[in-house]
Amino acid sequence: MDLPGPIHDFLLVFLGSGLILGGLGVVLLTNPIYSAFSLGLVLVCISLFYILSNSHFVAAAQLLIYVGAINVLILFAVMFMNGSEYYKDFNLWTIGNGLTSLVCTSILVSLITTILDTSWYGIIWTTRSNQIIEQDLISNSQQIGIHLATDFFFPFEFISIILLVALIGAIAMARQ
Amino acid sequence: MMLEHILVLSAYLFSIGIYGLITSRNMVRALMYLELILNAVNINFVTFSDFFDSWQLKGNIFSIFVIAIAAAEAAIGSAIVSSIYNRKSTRINQSTLLNK
Repeated sequence: MDLPGPIHDFLLVFLGSGLILGGLGVVLLTNPIYSAFSLGLVLVCISLFYILSNSHFVAAAQLLIYVGAINVLILFAVMFMNGSEYYKDFNLWTIGNGLTSLVCTSILVSLITTILDTSWYGIIWTTRSNQIIEQDLISNSQQIGIHLATDFFFPFEFISIILLVALIGAIAMARQ
Repeated sequence: MMLEHILVLSAYLFSIGIYGLITSRNMVRALMYLELILNAVNINFVTFSDFFDSWQLKGNIFSIFVIAIAAAEAAIGSAIVSSIYNRKSTRINQSTLLNK
């Protein structure tokens, strides 16, 4: 989005803190309904991130599909569980939990060091100099539509078949 | 600096998702953490497509496919949860209960 610099930075910091708190809430809250709602907060923050990154179609798709369908589905599945089952899945701090947190922290630290060591602006400079400079009369959603209909036609049709098969499978499974 | 901040955020979400996925004893929570992982990957794709590929938007299109696949997998996962729960509880080490 073409926002002035400080507003853009403020929105990034705001959404980033929402993401961090929401991510902690999904892991640390023991009540599964609270953690499902915290997952919903994470998904909405990610959708606003996409609006800031000029990807309006993916932002709308994220809001409709992830928040509106997948999160609701997860809430339905959470409400299947009895109240007596809430307290059975305590995160009792076993040795496995500690080892996993160590491994995940090391993965995070190695990813962060790799990200901060890569020279991104060299890559931006070389890719921008290769692209044809033209006026963007075509908006982002129209561009995605053009590419889905021409270059990515086969994955587009194939994914509709995948969704059909998944729905038939889910219905056949839930009927028993 | 903005690109690196967003990538660090997505790495944070990814590692939280992996931690939760390995240590969750409940299948519904495992579904939630799997969605976190897929969303972290999506943030990466969309950010790279915004910074490097504003003309062809390949990252955006791939993230649309990832969203669709995640929807299909969430539907099947909750169908499995409901059919396991009809027999017993949703603890994940009792998945042999799907056998007839």
